Amino acid sequence: MEIGVQKQTDDEKQVQPGQFNKLNDSGDKKQTGYCGFLTVEYYTPYFNVTENDVIQRVKATFLPFRPDFLNITKDNPDLWGPIWINATLIFMITAIANLRQVDSEKENQSFDVGYVPQATALLYIIAFGTPVILAVVMKVLGVDLSFFQTICLYGYSMSTLLPITILCYFQNELFLWLIIAYGVGNSILFLIFNLKEELDKLQIQKKYIIIAIVVTMQLSLYLFYKLVFFSYVSEGIVETTNTSASSEPKEPAN
Amino acid sequence: MDYTNQKQPQNYSQMEDLKTLDLEESVSETIMRDLRMIAYKLKYVLIPKEQEDNGKELRNWDLWGPLIFCLALAMTLSFKADSTTSSSKSDVFAIIFVLIWVGAFVVTLNAQLLGGKVSFFQSVCLLGYCVFPINIEALIIAFIGSYLPFVVKLIPVIICFAWSAYSSVGFMASLVPPHKKKLAVYPVFLFYLFLSWFSLIV
Repeated sequence: MEIGVQKQTDDEKQVQPGQFNKLNDSGDKKQTGYCGFLTVEYYTPYFNVTENDVIQRVKATFLPFRPDFLNITKDNPDLWGPIWINATLIFMITAIANLRQVDSEKENQSFDVGYVPQATALLYIIAFGTPVILAVVMKVLGVDLSFFQTICLYGYSMSTLLPITILCYFQNELFLWLIIAYGVGNSILFLIFNLKEELDKLQIQKKYIIIAIVVTMQLSLYLFYKLVFFSYVSEGIVETTNTSASSEPKEPAN
Repeated sequence: MDYTNQKQPQNYSQMEDLKTLDLEESVSETIMRDLRMIAYKLKYVLIPKEQEDNGKELRNWDLWGPLIFCLALAMTLSFKADSTTSSSKSDVFAIIFVLIWVGAFVVTLNAQLLGGKVSFFQSVCLLGYCVFPINIEALIIAFIGSYLPFVVKLIPVIICFAWSAYSSVGFMASLVPPHKKKLAVYPVFLFYLFLSWFSLIV
């Protein structure tokens, strides 16, 4: 990263090789040494997709039993999808949660923005942390797991949450639990199906460890999702009855 | 740089010769010079007609402008937050501040990773300056928002969001190879959408 002094205009900077290029003289990644993963160039090969590729991959996540996703991403795992699908999700969670609040409280529009840090932490830890855990566990069990392929897989599995988030706008409890269940099922099937190849290299008992990790993480993600939305709605109803009953100085008496 | 014309210096490299005079001028003059530079860059970035040289002026990036607009937006939204939201003022301020800087960082990093050859701070500078329309809409909504129904509030929000997005998309799209344009542009769009949503909600 450039820490430029303003005297040197960017014309000059673009002519000189940047800090990273000094390490990369022959253009070979391996020569960057142990800190190679901190440079931008290390990750560039994983962004080699076009928008049509991304759309195809997202579509493939909704059909877990077809090998489409595996075929598409085998040679070209990408990181654009995981990062920006999660970012889109964070925005949508905030937007839909706030839109729900518009319905329940007519007079004093009170919007909670606390979802942003929570959602960011949850989504990014699950999307990037679980592949790390899986990779470590698989290494311990003796099988090599392609790290970036798994991150790509997990990131795209989050796209099941996109329509679910939009549908969470509706207030019907049963409906919400149904779509959450669908989401859990779809994403678990998608993940397991795509990890099948690596899983088959393990023995039967060890397979279940991996499957258990995957299932636990997905369940916790979806449960957290539902409970964050669910606890909001019930609080909203409780809040309106409380605020109209209590004597807060700011609000006009109803 | 051309030192022979009488135009006021527009960037620091033109001012090297004048550095010795800096200590002798009054504080207000120094501040006004910086403010004039920010205003000049702002006009350059936001009014498409001013851009005759394809963004070369942006090479003289500075982060004062983005900082001022970021602070102004965060303060506007957090003042408003006290009366109407269940999150505290400092939560809102922190979220907006972090969102703008981390967002600009991530969007720029994304453009670089997609193969765009752009100076990091140049792009952060542009994204920061394009936050200005969001500032305007936040002020509008802060002052007269409580008298308007939700739907009417959407109009300035959409206009300012479109203005911000349009100004920065042109620059961003020119950085990356053509088949990855939409991948570079979508994060910019998401970034301003997020900020507009906050100014609407809070």
